Parts: sequence; structure tokens; C-alpha cells
Amino acid sequence: MLIETTIIEENVRIQGRDRMLEGVLAYPADRAKFTALIAGPHPFLGGDMRNNVVDTLSKTLASGGGVTLAFDYGGVGESEGGPTDWPAAMSAFWKDGMIPEEHDWVDDVGAAMAATREWCDAPLVLVGYSFGCWSIANHLRDSSAHAVVLVSPNPKQHVFDDLADCDVPLLIVHSDNDFTCSVSEMMTWFESIREPKVRVQLSAGEHFFRGHEAELAKVVLEFLQGQRLPGVEQIEDTR
Amino acid sequence: MTRERIDVFLTGATGFLGHYLLAELLAPPHVRCRVLLRPPVSASCARLGRLLAGFGLNLSALIAENRVVPVEGELPDSLNSADLGGIDLVLHAGGNTAFQANGSDEPARTNVAGTKAMLTLARDAGIPRFVFVSTAYVCGEQVGHLPEAVYPTAPPLRNDYERSKWEAEQLVWDWGRRNGVARICRPSILFGDSRTGRASAMKGLYLVARATEVLARAMDGNHDADRHHIQLRILGRGDATCNVIPIDWAAKQIVRIALDPATESSVHHVTNPDPPTHQEVKQWLEAYFDIAGGRFDDATWPLADANHYEDLFYSLGNICLDYFRHGLTFESQCAANVPSGQRLIDGASFAQCMKYAQATNWCRNRIDETDSVAPAGGIDPKWYFESFLPRAVPRSVVAKVQELTAVVQYTITGPNGGSWISRFDRGQLKETHAVPTALTPEFEYRLSYEDLVDVVTCRKPLQDVFFHGSAEMFGEVELALKMVPIIGEFLKEFPVVGEGIPSLAC
Ligand SMILES: NC(=O)c1ccc[n+]([C@@H]2O[C@H](COP(=O)([O-])OP(=O)(O)OC[C@H]3O[C@@H](n4cnc5c(N)ncnc54)[C@H](OP(=O)(O)O)[C@@H]3O)[C@@H](O)[C@H]2O)c1
Repeated sequence: MLIETTIIEENVRIQGRDRMLEGVLAYPADRAKFTALIAGPHPFLGGDMRNNVVDTLSKTLASGGGVTLAFDYGGVGESEGGPTDWPAAMSAFWKDGMIPEEHDWVDDVGAAMAATREWCDAPLVLVGYSFGCWSIANHLRDSSAHAVVLVSPNPKQHVFDDLADCDVPLLIVHSDNDFTCSVSEMMTWFESIREPKVRVQLSAGEHFFRGHEAELAKVVLEFLQGQRLPGVEQIEDTR
Repeated sequence: MTRERIDVFLTGATGFLGHYLLAELLAPPHVRCRVLLRPPVSASCARLGRLLAGFGLNLSALIAENRVVPVEGELPDSLNSADLGGIDLVLHAGGNTAFQANGSDEPARTNVAGTKAMLTLARDAGIPRFVFVSTAYVCGEQVGHLPEAVYPTAPPLRNDYERSKWEAEQLVWDWGRRNGVARICRPSILFGDSRTGRASAMKGLYLVARATEVLARAMDGNHDADRHHIQLRILGRGDATCNVIPIDWAAKQIVRIALDPATESSVHHVTNPDPPTHQEVKQWLEAYFDIAGGRFDDATWPLADANHYEDLFYSLGNICLDYFRHGLTFESQCAANVPSGQRLIDGASFAQCMKYAQATNWCRNRIDETDSVAPAGGIDPKWYFESFLPRAVPRSVVAKVQELTAVVQYTITGPNGGSWISRFDRGQLKETHAVPTALTPEFEYRLSYEDLVDVVTCRKPLQDVFFHGSAEMFGEVELALKMVPIIGEFLKEFPVVGEGIPSLAC
């Protein structure tokens, strides 16, 4: 049964390791069934909390009963910090597709995770999109997460060894025309990672899922509905 | 009595120091200048024209009178000795001021290979005098009273920039031994014009000043905090000095040294004999921005436990902490040219420089207001790509993205549309042409005219038009994506304004 659920959205500030970060907390008016931290793409590649995928996931999971937190990495939007020398950072990014400051953004995920635990004690789900998959994977060991969702991870760019550090259910969602990682590369990598795991391949959507955001969010919500999160019988689809 | 004509070949004329040197060289009527300008020469000429206009000089007229002759070229490779034919002296002030290589081959490419190329050309053209603009900080970490002499072995140097300048000095000095008179001028940190506060680049101490402004702005919006008791550790000693010199004085000294007919090779510190202390600079900044509270501290960078204010302050300022030094003085013949009883920089001239810096938005409004105004009738993509970009990009952050080499197509759909292709080489915009052109793009951005207008006027962030709007990318999409943040920074630096088109802060 589809029930219109009101989602409350609240702008929050998160104390990072050495800077304040901006975030948006979205939650249903009634009791939360799970908590989801959503880590967005690379700040140099549209990685803000208003990104189409981050925004849709945040709203959909909130309407499915979750307390979701999306945030801006340091230097993005109103979040403090970011590279001191932008031309040098952009130069390095152009050359190698990565910059040294990325480790600070990984730290930001740690800070956002701590904040999420403070705001809600419902079972934690970690959701990463693109660069966010890697920034989240770096925290799996200490996360006490109950499920992990990686949307469009790029195993060619990032090393995901940390996935072995936790054995909670893992969902990988990707599209069949993602320019960052072909289907066969994704499948080879998927074969190599630990169980339990599920892979869902969407047709079209590239890396950005423009126009396919709702379909993607539905897959993620359905996966979470199928998990036995402690203290939660079954997550209802209340959208 | 008329003096014999002197023909000077000047590099770096479009730079902060270089355009002052050019104006100073042109003051006596017997000097003619051939100036090296990076391609496209039309864009460099336009920039130089605007810079010289600040001195009341008309570049077109100077070119027509043959007093200035533009020579298109880029160091180290695109000149030949014929370009230097008939020249009496080379004043080599072109340089790359990036402190760290950050994975690129700059600053060594321009400063070492470029200087070597100039020396070879000067030798082949039989030029008797070569004047090189180095830096006082080739001294590296040495302290004490430093002599006006080359350092034959490399002192401990603190960054790639200092190393490149030290290496270049060795080449110049060696050239002098074999080929003619070599003069090395070593300015310290260049600051605004002592008379007007004018500056065309905001580096060095300006970064500290700007960081102070950021702090002051943060206090403006925070009524709970006491702006006169800010918890800020300033790394360094209050009694150490900051060797800043006014740009006009520096240019005067360098031109005097360059035109001096003496036949000995020599080294000259163009430095401040009575530089302000940190404590003084702090007081001037505090007075100007109406804040206080910082205290000198011997903590080291980076601060492990930086507070909010320190984060704000050092996000801009840490880069020049290196130049706040203790126990360093320079032997300097130029010191005799400071009028007795006067200081090169004092509280009043410092405040004037701050005023100028703020009025020009810290040099972010680097192309004249009129240049960023869209033509009447709205934004014409042809004007934007063919006229605005070539003028603005060389002054923008894009030019500093030294790894950026790409051929990019922009296609604007709709009735006002069209397609243009730009070629970037090491951050420099080399050419832009309307399609059809021989250039083959690596990737393409396609967006509607409405989105173009929103983006270039900063009404919509670029990323919005990609993720929520009409824009699409084709070809090497990964490269196209990587360029988005670079374009984003450019748009923030150079928004287009015009009638009915508000310039909103991005
Ligand atoms: N700024 C200081 O505080 C300071 C202190 C001591 C010494 N210096 C020295 O003074 C000189 C001028 O510095 P500045 O502050 O005026 O620098 P700037 O404003 O960055 O100007 C550099 C000049 O060099 C030109 N240039 C750069 N790379 C080139 C290349 N590969 N080929 C040809 N021309 C090139 C630039 O041309 P475009 O305009 O086309 O980019 C510009 O005209 C440098 O040698 C620097 O090391 C500066």
C-alpha cells in the first residue's frame, strides 16, 4: 500500500575533524526504522548534497522510514576547508583523477557517521555513490553498519580492500553504460569480493543516472526492505 | 644633446613586475623595447594595453611609433635569434612563480629551461648584456647578512621555485663569464605602488592581508564573538621582518641597474633596508580591518589543533609564512637609493595598498569592468567564446592549471547557437575557432542558450545545468567531467555582467 509520508528536512552542522560541515537530515514524521549515511561523489565532479542521485536517495530512503544524512565534503557549499591551492589541486585532478585532499574528505565521512550515530540509534546503513563508495568503504571496519550500498563504484580508480573488513549484506548497483567502469570490469570485480552480496545492473543511466534516479532509489529501498535489520521486522514501503 | 638609442628585449612584460619595468624603460625617450608576449599575441597585447593604460601610456601609439615591438613567443622553445637582432640588452623578467612543481614541469620549465633558451639566443645574437630578474630568496634557508654574490653551491632551498631561480642564476653567471655582462637583480617580496597602492597581482603579503579580511568578514557576521580578542596564533616572531618592497621602487632600481653601462657582471639585492616587522604588519592589518587578538606563537605549521579562526586564516595565508624571516638581512647597493629618513613601506602606504586591493576585489576583477559587460542586446555566444574567453582565461585560475591540455568543443543549441572549439595547452588558451575548424575536439559540452546565459552570469552553478538542466557531455566524458570544476572556478572569477543581467556572487 502506498501511503503519502511527510518527510522532514533539517539543515544541520556537523563537527568535522578540523572543520564544520553542512548537512541535510531527512526523516519521516514517525519512528525511524533505520539510519542511512549517504556519501556523495567527488567534490570536483558534482559532489554536493544536492546532487541528483544523493538527493533522490535521501528523500526515498527517508520516505521508506529512514533517517538519512547527506552532507557536503569540506570546501563544498557551506562546508569549511577544502584544498588551499585550488589551481594545484585542479591540476593534479586533471592529471591523475585524484588529489591529496581526498583523505580529508574520507575523514569527513567519519565525522558524518559519528554525527548520524548521535542523532539516531536505529540500525545504520551506509550508502555511497561514485567517489562516496570509496570514502564510505574506508570506514567499514569501525562503522557497525548493518548493510552497505555502493552505487556506481569505480574499482578501476579506487581500491576496495576494506570491504573484506565487514560481512554485512552488500548491494552494488551500477548501470550498463557507465563510462567509468564497463559491465565486464564490474562483474570481474564483483566476483572477487566477499559474500553476502547482491549486484543489480540498471539499463542506461550512465554514471549519473539522470532521469533514472527514482528507479535507482527503488532498487536501494527494496534491498533494504529485504534485510533483517535488528529491531526492525520489515521496512515498509510507505512511499 | 640626444642620447644614443638603446634597444631592450623585455620578457614578462604582462606580469606584475614586467609592466612596471616596461613603463619605467619607456620613460626616457631614447629606449625602445621589444617585448615577448605569449600567444595569442592579440590577447596578450590587449592585456598589456590595459596594464599600460594605468600609467597613461597608449600601447597602440607606442607600437605605431616603434617604441614597443611585440614579439610572439613562449619560453623555452618558440623564439629564434633573429627575434633578438639589433638588441643592446635583454631584461629577462618573465618567470613562473609557482612555489611547488605539483607534478608539472613548472616552475623549472620557464625559469631554468626558459632562461637557458634566452641565454642561448642572446649569445647567438651577440647581445652584450643580459639582465636577469631573480629573487632575494635564492638564499634558501641561510640567515645572516647575505652578500651580493652568486651562491656557487646550492644553499638549502625551500621550494621548487627557489631552486629554479638558483639554477637560472648559475646559468646567467656562467653566460657572463663567456659572453658579456651579466647582471642579476634579486628583488624581495613585491608589494603595491607606494604612490597609488596599485598592484596587478596579489601574492605574498597580500595573501596574509586577504586572510585577515576573511577573518574580519567572519567576525562581521558573528555578533557573539569579540572581534578584538580573536584566538589566533600567528606562526613566527613579532620582531622578525617581512622584506616587502613597493613595485614602483623595485622597477626603478632594476631599470637603473639594467641601463647602467658598467662593464662588470654584478649581483644586486633589490631589498628593503628597513623592512617592517611582523608586529608592525600585524598592527597595520588590525587597524585596517578593525580586528585584534592574534598573538605570535612558535608553533609550527600545520597546526595540529587549529581552531575555527586559525583554519579560516591559514586557509589562505600559510603559503607565505616562509617569507616571514628572522635574522636575515641583505647587502644592498640599492639601499642608498632610499631617501634618508623615509621608509619604503609604512603604515600609510600599506593602508593605501589595502584600499586598492579591496577596490579591485583582490585583483579578481582583472579584466576591466567594461570588458566583462555583455554587448547590448544580451549575451552573444560568439562574443563569449571568441572575444571574452581569450581575454579572460589568461588572467584566470585556468591559466594556472598547468596540467590542462585539451581540445574542447562547446555547442550552444537554439536560435542563438553555434559551435566553437578551444585548444588549451598547459592551462593556456591557445586558440578558439567557430566550427568548422581543423581542430578535433576530445570532448564536447552541449547546452541550451538559456543555460549558457544562466551559467556565465553565475545565476546557476555549472553543475546544476549538468545534473538538473539541459547540458550534456560527449566524447571523452571523463575528461569533460574533470574540466567542470575548472570551468566552475573560472565562472566565479569572471562572471559576465550587463544590462538586465545581474552579476550574482556564485
Ligand atoms: N612577485 C614577487 O613578489 C617577486 C619577488 C621576487 C622576484 N620575482 C621575480 O620577478 C619576475 C616577475 O614576477 P611577477 O610577480 O611579475 O610574475 P607574474 O605576474 O606571474 O608575471 C610573469 C610574467 O612572465 C610571463 N611568462 C610566464 N611564463 C612564461 C613562459 N613560459 N614564456 C614566456 N613568458 C612567460 C608571464 O606571461 P603571461 O602574462 O602571458 O602569463 C608574465 O608576463 C619573476 O621572474 C619572479 O621570479 C617576483
